[in-house]
Amino acid sequence: MEPQTNSGPLKWTLITASAVFLSVFLLLPLAYIVATALRQGMDAYLAAITDKYTCKAAWLTIQATLWAVAVNTVFGIAAAWCLTKFAFRGKKIISTCIDLPVTVSPIIAGLIYLLTFGRQSFLYPYLDSWNIKIIFAVPGIVLATIFVTFPFISRELLPVLTAQGTDEEEAAALMGAGAFTIFRKVTLPHIKWALLYGVVLCTARAMGEFGAVSVLSGHLWGKTNTLPLYIELLYQGYDFTGAFAASSLLVVMAIIILALRLWLERRGSKELDIRK
Amino acid sequence: MKFRNGNKRKSIIPGFGLSFGVTITILSLVVLIPLCSLVVFASRLSPAEFLNIIMRPRVMASFWISLSTALAASLVNAVMGIILAWVLVRYEFPGKRFIDGIIELPFALPTAVAGISLTHLTTTNGWVGKVFYDLFGIRIAYSWLGITVALVFIGIPFVVRSIQPVLEKIDSQYEEAAMILGADSATTFRKVIFPEILPALISGFTLAFARCIGEYGSVVFIAGNTPYKTEIVPLLIMAELQEFDYAAATSIALAMLAIAFIILSANAILQSIASRRISGLN
Amino acid sequence: MNEHAAYVELRNINKHFKDFHATRDVNIAIPRGQLAALLGPSGSGKTTILRMIAGLEQPDSGEILIGGRVVNNVPGSERGIGFVFQNYALFRYMTVFDNIAFGLRVKKAPETAIRERVTELLGLIGCSGLENRYPSQLSGGQRQRVAFARALAPNPQILLLDEPFAAIDAKVRLELRTWLREMITRLHITSIFVTHDQDEAIEVADEIIVTNKGRVEQTGSPQELYSHPSTPFVARFIGNSIPVKDYTRFRYFERFGPQTEAVLRPEFIGIFKKGEKLQYASSAEEGVVEDIIFRGSSLEIRVRLHDNLLSAIRSVNDPAIHVGEKVDVFIYRLFIIDGGRVTLAHNQSLKKESVVI
Repeated sequence: MEPQTNSGPLKWTLITASAVFLSVFLLLPLAYIVATALRQGMDAYLAAITDKYTCKAAWLTIQATLWAVAVNTVFGIAAAWCLTKFAFRGKKIISTCIDLPVTVSPIIAGLIYLLTFGRQSFLYPYLDSWNIKIIFAVPGIVLATIFVTFPFISRELLPVLTAQGTDEEEAAALMGAGAFTIFRKVTLPHIKWALLYGVVLCTARAMGEFGAVSVLSGHLWGKTNTLPLYIELLYQGYDFTGAFAASSLLVVMAIIILALRLWLERRGSKELDIRK
Repeated sequence: MKFRNGNKRKSIIPGFGLSFGVTITILSLVVLIPLCSLVVFASRLSPAEFLNIIMRPRVMASFWISLSTALAASLVNAVMGIILAWVLVRYEFPGKRFIDGIIELPFALPTAVAGISLTHLTTTNGWVGKVFYDLFGIRIAYSWLGITVALVFIGIPFVVRSIQPVLEKIDSQYEEAAMILGADSATTFRKVIFPEILPALISGFTLAFARCIGEYGSVVFIAGNTPYKTEIVPLLIMAELQEFDYAAATSIALAMLAIAFIILSANAILQSIASRRISGLN
Repeated sequence: MNEHAAYVELRNINKHFKDFHATRDVNIAIPRGQLAALLGPSGSGKTTILRMIAGLEQPDSGEILIGGRVVNNVPGSERGIGFVFQNYALFRYMTVFDNIAFGLRVKKAPETAIRERVTELLGLIGCSGLENRYPSQLSGGQRQRVAFARALAPNPQILLLDEPFAAIDAKVRLELRTWLREMITRLHITSIFVTHDQDEAIEVADEIIVTNKGRVEQTGSPQELYSHPSTPFVARFIGNSIPVKDYTRFRYFERFGPQTEAVLRPEFIGIFKKGEKLQYASSAEEGVVEDIIFRGSSLEIRVRLHDNLLSAIRSVNDPAIHVGEKVDVFIYRLFIIDGGRVTLAHNQSLKKESVVI
């Protein structure tokens, strides 16, 4: 099983190097957050995370994340179904457009929304007359979050549906089943793990988005601060306990996400055996 | 020809209209219209204006800093990525599962959180920064090095996750064959394994590089944001936006997009060359 | 008379995929209750024809009729067809029972009727007791049978099968062929299946439709195709054809048209040891044996005659022949390829002697 390249000393040198590298770059920052958050004692920590503004920021983060997951799930399923089950011109263009948002810097993502809905946009007078606020308001934050997580779900679904082919759907359609029956009974069982996996990835990114949201938020206390933005404000105000306490909430979420990811990956590969 | 198409495309599977409609609507609202507005806004700038902004020394300096730190961080990650992927695929040792899981941390941990933590650790008072400052007189936070450290953190998963699946697929028979033919481990790695993982390495490297150039959250704290010294491009765009100089912000953004486009195209070309070499097609 | 009226009919069907002309002016008529095979090499358009009948593809022009009614604009689900896909397309996340019941459930049949019908079909395909298995837990042959039962469950008027045996091991395939033929004959359901394997078509089908490059080359019973190929393609495609550049070099075959190409089959050639009793000894020609292949029940003799390497079959009971031996070769008949036509030519000496005697 093991080739001879795995000679003892080399093996342990490489493993040690990996362990040191990961400890310094990944574990140490993580441990540091927890340590700093708790430095002034449990009471200070609890006070910091139950602070009114922390809670508001957390709630806004949850809202934006839910929106992003909801929109991207609907979009991901529709796009994956449309791109894999039908033949039509322009497929390549659509799939390239879907991937565009992740190749763009988050700051640029924020910028394009600023240009679209901001004061200098031709849309602005209309939006203003209808009293719709997008920039420096919650809708802008939600839009930016959707943008930066845009392909996360469709990208998980596409390969699964491509590999599955269209035979089963054709067979079901020939027997007279409608679109929703086919999707629910035939397609959904194939993609459910990939869908969950995509949702987890989308949640992780949506929760932590900083750059794009930062451009669009306007940093209004208690109104347009997501948790990461609020952490920035606390940090810049030298409230390190508060900043690291709020960070620890996101660390906990990150760890839950990592665990979910591992579990889903294992589930997914088990499922592969059934499929074949 | 045109008339036929409507008929031809009718598929037996229902739901095309609905799924296509939803896809196009959401895609337009979220991606296409905003991107178009960038194009529209950019078209109002004259080429001279654009060049004027881009050629400003402060802008040029920020591009130099962004590109050099991203390159340095991606190179570190390329080397560590190969080692980590190799260790995870080829060796069995206690804690392997843990390492495999934690590699994804930079994807899951919000960048701002990583940013403040890395900054605090590496200031001259920080746990790590103090050691480096006292022993070698090196400042990490608020320097070129600090930016690189943050970008290394961000880029770790890219190379590892690109190489890992390829390494898993390489049949150990190749290596055994090389061994039987008398090659030592270094030669085997260089001649047999490295060419196999090279395409994945390139794609992981370019993905990490592209991501590093655009990175904002983790860098903003550690960089210190001194113009000409530690100001990266996204920070500069942010600064222009805060001064409501949208023309400057858009110009710099366009230049950045052009760089990202060049990087990704270079990757696509290298990939096709590499895959042609492996599959033996001309 | 009604027996011979076409039940499934295609009239002047054309179909393109982008620049590829998949089906050209196809006309087919299949009577009720018949088992027809669409036979042709890959890319000949046979699967496209089947998919158009099912409504999985739309023709660019032409009419499809089922039971005398034009069904071009009738969705596949309302054409009264059952379809067996090449890889069966069983629903992988449903049990065998749910797979077979799917079509009935979609039609909102009462659950008791569904249970009854599925049980009946499971008995018919010999898979009783497997209803709670998933497709991945079945053998290739069982999957094929389940796919067959699923297609039959809603009582279709027509059964369409796309390469039904392609995904099965050679040994099980022979067994399944016979099973399928019996099953279809018993149910008396109009069936069309696609295959690229001529043995399969000849053994299973009542009628074979040979397709090539999007066209129908010939339609007929297996015997007809075998003994009277009407196009050069069919002459070359059916049987173990041996192409010959210039047939006029064989003795007693007179020049027929401008072309000299011909096709032989092993059964058209007799090989005789020198001195072996031969009715037409004077008409035979001398060839040299180049190779002998043992086929179990017979021997395939490869013999060179006028620069042509011919194959012939010889019984293992006949006197042994060795490689390098000079033998008498007698060609009974051959197909002359004359432009787009095929003409059967007999050895003239056969005629002469029959006249003389």
